[in-house]
Amino acid sequence: MPERVRTDVGGAAAALDYDAELMLRVKEGDGASFGVLLDKHRSSVVHFLYRMVQNHPVAEELAQEVFLRVYRSRSTYEPTAKFTTWLFRIATHLALNALRDGKNERLQEHLDDDSSDMPVRQISDSRPSVEQFMVYQARLDEVRRAVATLPEKQRAAVLMHKYEEMEYSQIAKVLNCSESAVKSLLFRAYETLRARLAHMA
Amino acid sequence: MRCPIETRENAEMLLAYCSRKLDAESTAILEDHIRICPACREFAGGQQAVWRALDAWEAIPVSADFDRRLYGRIEKEVSWWDLLMRPFRPLLFRQGLPIAAAVALVIGAGVLLQRPGAVSPASTPVSAQVDVVAPDQAEHALQEMEMMREFNRLVHPDTADPKM
Repeated sequence: MPERVRTDVGGAAAALDYDAELMLRVKEGDGASFGVLLDKHRSSVVHFLYRMVQNHPVAEELAQEVFLRVYRSRSTYEPTAKFTTWLFRIATHLALNALRDGKNERLQEHLDDDSSDMPVRQISDSRPSVEQFMVYQARLDEVRRAVATLPEKQRAAVLMHKYEEMEYSQIAKVLNCSESAVKSLLFRAYETLRARLAHMA
Repeated sequence: MRCPIETRENAEMLLAYCSRKLDAESTAILEDHIRICPACREFAGGQQAVWRALDAWEAIPVSADFDRRLYGRIEKEVSWWDLLMRPFRPLLFRQGLPIAAAVALVIGAGVLLQRPGAVSPASTPVSAQVDVVAPDQAEHALQEMEMMREFNRLVHPDTADPKM
């Protein structure tokens, strides 16, 4: 599928990303296009929210709310920014609110527990020994704790930069700040993470 | 080159290098510098360790019923409108009918307005407004129902007749 298409919106030709084109179709009543958008972005939104709130059920609940808001806004949607910028702005807003509201109060105890929703490590050549598995879990726990201790905005910036591979400019639009502020956030965040995780080299 | 660790602006270059986003030419220049600069070597080593550590954090697969739950919530939101329009559904299914009815009303209102004293001036805008809004509502309802049919097809692909 083409990533960028040229389309005519409101009489004026505008270069839109393919997702924005799909969203405009949703606006016109095409439910199937909403399904395509959902298929395309479901995983990245859930994964971003999971890493933000570190609680799988809460992350999925928030992701549902993200897509519900996208659907609700279809009639007023205007492609003024990249679709993913808009999508992650909604996701970040919901995640930050959830963190502030203490929706994931279980987070701390969850981190202290043996987590039930940790991913099962797939090792292709052989099954990991119990010892390898425990080492992996301990390292993973350390990474999660290190990320969880970052201030919320730094955390969001790191997750978008590292896992969603977003450009500084796009992260800036999502977080509603300047590009230099994003660079500063990332620099400080990675500094903190280096201090906490460098020994894992 | 000037040591990138000395200014925060240039340190961005080191971050880009560690996240494998730096272009080939700049990478070569930076690697030459890293070989002779212990501070940058330490920074890059630490940052690459962070990158590898973060790589190990795999996300959990999305629940299999995620879409079903989402479409269920969307369906609930749409259903109030469906409920409201249910009495008019037989008419709405014939798309031409509401439009024809609206046109007839507009013509009727026009004819009435031509007759002096038949309709008071105060009542004119009200009837005109109702005439103009009716086709829009009908069209909106049809769009909603069409989307619901598509969602139903996505959620219940086996069901031939959508539950509407």
